[in-house]
Amino acid sequence: MNMNDADWLTSGPQNSNAGQQQQQQQQGWAMPPTGTGTGTPAPGQMLHQQQHQYNPQPQPQPTMANYPPRAVSMTSSSFTTSSSSLNNNNNYGSRTPPTAIATSNTNSTNYNSSNRSINTTPTPRTTMKTPASTTSTNNNSNNNILVANRAADEETEDGRIRNREASTKIRDAWIYKQIRSRQDEFTQYKQGRVFIGTWNVNAKGKDESLSSWLCADWQQHGPPDIVVVGFQEMVDLNAVNVAVENKSQSRSAFWIDRIRATLNSRQNTQGDPSRSYTELAVKYLVGLLVCVFVKSPHKPRVKYVHTDSVGVGVMGVMGNKGGVSIRLQFYDSTLCFTCLHLAAHRENVTGRNADFANVYNKTSFEIGSEAVQEMIRLGSMSQWAMGTASVGVPDHDLVFWFGDLNYRVDESIPTERVLQLSEAGMLDELIEHDQLNVERAAGRVFHDFEEGKLEFKPTYKYQPGTDMYEQRPDKKLRAPAWCDRILWLAQEPGHVAQMNYLRSELNCSDHKPVMSTFLVTIKDVILAKREGVYREVMQMLDTYENNSLPMVSLDKLNLDFGLVRYDQRVTLPIVIANTGEVVAQFRLAPKVDENALCKPWLTVSPTYGMLIPGEKTEIELTITIDNSTAHRLNTNREVLDDVLILRLENGRDFYISVSGQYARSCFGMSVDELVLYSDPIRDVPLDPILRAEKYDLNSKAAMCVPKELWRIIDAIYERGLDERDLFTALGDPDEVCVIRECLDTGAPFGKFSVHSVAEVLTLFLSNLISPIVPVSIFPTLDIDAQNIQMFTRKFLEDMQPIQYNVFIYIISFFREVLLHREKNRLSPAKVAR
Amino acid sequence: MSNRVCHFKLVLLGDTAVGKSCLVVRFVRDEFFEFQEPTIGAAFLTQTVALDDATVKFEIWDTAGQERYRSLAPMYYRGAAAAIIVYDITNPDSFAGAKSWVKELQRRGDTNVVIAMVSLWEFGKNAGNKADLESRRKVDFNEANAYAEENGILHMETSAKNSNNVRALFVEIAKSLPKTIQQPEREAFPIMPQKQESRNCC
Ligand SMILES: Nc1nc2c(ncn2[C@@H]2O[C@H](COP(=O)(O)OP(=O)(O)OP(=O)(O)O)[C@@H](O)[C@H]2O)c(=O)[nH]1
Ligand SMILES: [Mg+2]
Repeated sequence: MNMNDADWLTSGPQNSNAGQQQQQQQQGWAMPPTGTGTGTPAPGQMLHQQQHQYNPQPQPQPTMANYPPRAVSMTSSSFTTSSSSLNNNNNYGSRTPPTAIATSNTNSTNYNSSNRSINTTPTPRTTMKTPASTTSTNNNSNNNILVANRAADEETEDGRIRNREASTKIRDAWIYKQIRSRQDEFTQYKQGRVFIGTWNVNAKGKDESLSSWLCADWQQHGPPDIVVVGFQEMVDLNAVNVAVENKSQSRSAFWIDRIRATLNSRQNTQGDPSRSYTELAVKYLVGLLVCVFVKSPHKPRVKYVHTDSVGVGVMGVMGNKGGVSIRLQFYDSTLCFTCLHLAAHRENVTGRNADFANVYNKTSFEIGSEAVQEMIRLGSMSQWAMGTASVGVPDHDLVFWFGDLNYRVDESIPTERVLQLSEAGMLDELIEHDQLNVERAAGRVFHDFEEGKLEFKPTYKYQPGTDMYEQRPDKKLRAPAWCDRILWLAQEPGHVAQMNYLRSELNCSDHKPVMSTFLVTIKDVILAKREGVYREVMQMLDTYENNSLPMVSLDKLNLDFGLVRYDQRVTLPIVIANTGEVVAQFRLAPKVDENALCKPWLTVSPTYGMLIPGEKTEIELTITIDNSTAHRLNTNREVLDDVLILRLENGRDFYISVSGQYARSCFGMSVDELVLYSDPIRDVPLDPILRAEKYDLNSKAAMCVPKELWRIIDAIYERGLDERDLFTALGDPDEVCVIRECLDTGAPFGKFSVHSVAEVLTLFLSNLISPIVPVSIFPTLDIDAQNIQMFTRKFLEDMQPIQYNVFIYIISFFREVLLHREKNRLSPAKVAR
Repeated sequence: MSNRVCHFKLVLLGDTAVGKSCLVVRFVRDEFFEFQEPTIGAAFLTQTVALDDATVKFEIWDTAGQERYRSLAPMYYRGAAAAIIVYDITNPDSFAGAKSWVKELQRRGDTNVVIAMVSLWEFGKNAGNKADLESRRKVDFNEANAYAEENGILHMETSAKNSNNVRALFVEIAKSLPKTIQQPEREAFPIMPQKQESRNCC
């Protein structure tokens, strides 16, 4: 059925404000006539309960679930269908507290709880009279909610204690709090009417129309959207009926038939199916019965209908007393209806209180996790119920509890006087001494529930078939009492307004039926908008989380060291600055499957550090080519090219590229290779292919000794072998560098001291990749005077031609040097060293 | 749109200048820069996607596409639950590059990784002055689609420039992630101890 055409209650004039929402107007949600004198219930700041346990003692709300105070969306005289217009610009924490609304129906009950909802910010109360108990100390263990119960806290190495589960839940809680606080933005509020009727039928009942009870206000307000009817004592509460169900079933069927016949009478429907009512659910337990009917066009918007019953009579479980409940989702509001029959006898107040608490605590509905999810999404339930598949009474937006609660007028007024006052309709004194009113005001029962003013005479005990209180001499004289009551509990203040609270004069039972029609605010969540809000909330959180990631800036990510020479340290700095909003820790990280942070020719200092926002520091990168790296570079097994990973803890990675050109050097090469090149080594390409094109790599074409060696020795000759301390004095380090550069580039030597040249010779020889004398033929210790001749011959024969040449060449040179020993003071011992 | 948040690592791969960073910036910050600097390193950002049955929080690594950094990519796709491989429809080389990324992932990545192939494409009426992209198209949509299908991967044409398909892409990925086995069980708060029911998912 197309809900836009649904036949919503139309008896009341449309509120002009309703035009704001075209869709709502089309749906024709019920508008009561203005000025009917109904009032908005006092905004009792009902919060969502986290616990199923009903505890009659006032209890503070666990802090985590506190929602911001909400604005009251309606005033007592105008019920509008305004949807999202309220508090669109609300920010969490800054919402208007409930405004005081004087209501007509709370004046006499003087009851308004405020203790379920202790907010982080104090909420002004509109309570007429604050129960003294609100100041009582919290002794409720439910208050101490464990956030995470599965994952244990983990201590990390830095000593911090983390719990991912708890942290996720706390985050979730925050998200849902945000969303709930903005629910006006995505919820269309519709007005509907709920009729509640309750009757203790005393096992009687005849085939009569119930319209004087169920349809009493239809003339005035039109038919309601939802009709809920509860019965007590459908059957005699004798042992047989308590134990066997047959009778209950047939009586329940009987009453359902009566109700259906009444609601769907020709007169009411006029043959129009859209005016009819559909039965949604029936639940009975011995004498208790509750049933819910909905106007047929609404049927498609009813979901998750579930029932439960709790017996609290004999042995605590048999059903001569107790409660039967039906819960459902109507559009996007969740409703719970419970029909009760509590302990009897005037003096047994505590028994009734206990029965109530029992039913309240034990009632639960296995609605399935999907339905729970949906409730959480719709903002009807707290996120704390995550993971459960069942809901309790307080998990509903709107709760109606009614039935034969059996509370009487307390014994301070004598029975006769109660009777007198009742018959005379002088109710004020009786109301004051009504046990339910007294108990509620003391916070001992029906905590947080509200009730309208009793404006009808006590409904019990009547002489069946008459409209007279039972006063027959053969019967016990009883004080008339308001046994039969209807109360409600709304999560959002102002979402339930009682339009009337009446009794019917049907007389087959010793109780009169009681009924009440409520104007209720029903939520219709616009999913797209809700998703939009969710997205905004998440986006805000994401933005904060992304902004709180560490961020640094590096002044450069590419370091080009240019030409890098052998045995030369070159250092370049990088400036790293914390440009973020949080402390940034940085460190160099090794690459995948590697241990080293960088190549061996590179050193970085420091490799880690920490910066507070705004702080900066320098990281120095240094390239050093010593003979071990030079070998690899000279043989092209290595290039001066590396990428460093600079990692921010909890943040991004930066790549720092380091590059340079290795200036080829004859240092760190082998004589075998050096003899192949006639050109200065710097001009010899590293690339083997290019090299092969340029040079004949056949060793026959080679020189007999490396030209570099020849040049050094030649230079020493030139400068004279007579120099004192030749080979023992150190050369000038700068000159050593320049000489080496001249060797590599082929540039002519300038004026260098012979000591520098001599040092170059020593360095050259000691930096050859492989020693001239191969290790394999190195003289061993068993050489003595006898075998030295033979050994020397073998030694020289074993040498490769080039090595042999070089060896002989050097030996000859040193022999020559030693000839000048008087002048240069070199001794064979010193040379050997 | 749910109370359950699942965390997933997502990595973006693809040749340089195909628009990885633009895609992420559009998704996370809803911005677009015509001159997006090449990524030298790996940028990290988080972003949440709300689904009907779960909320997926992506922990996104936007990698560097330049060839010289290619060998560093495994560091980021290791352990990733999802990978978005981006190519540029006007650049066939980038499509070849994308294919090689797919191969590498199939070979070395997590076996369960959800792969999506994405190309930049301005389409629709808000294409603006870059509407000529279509005329410069060098990678046939159907060919790419067939390739994706063959390899069982998601394929979408998106535009970081005009937002087209960007969110849809991440939503698609979020949907195809296995939300039930990914993370340890979570339980209800112990407020209703008698009704606790263990659930899988995050
Ligand atoms: N027309 C158009 N251009 C885009 C789009 N996305 C990115 N670009 C352009 O492509 C350029 C490169 O995009 P980036 O996001 O930096 O590319 P990338 O893949 O991150 O590159 P690397 O970081 O080097 O791997 C940007 O400067 C944009 O101008 C798009 O959706 N449409
Ligand atoms: Mg990039």
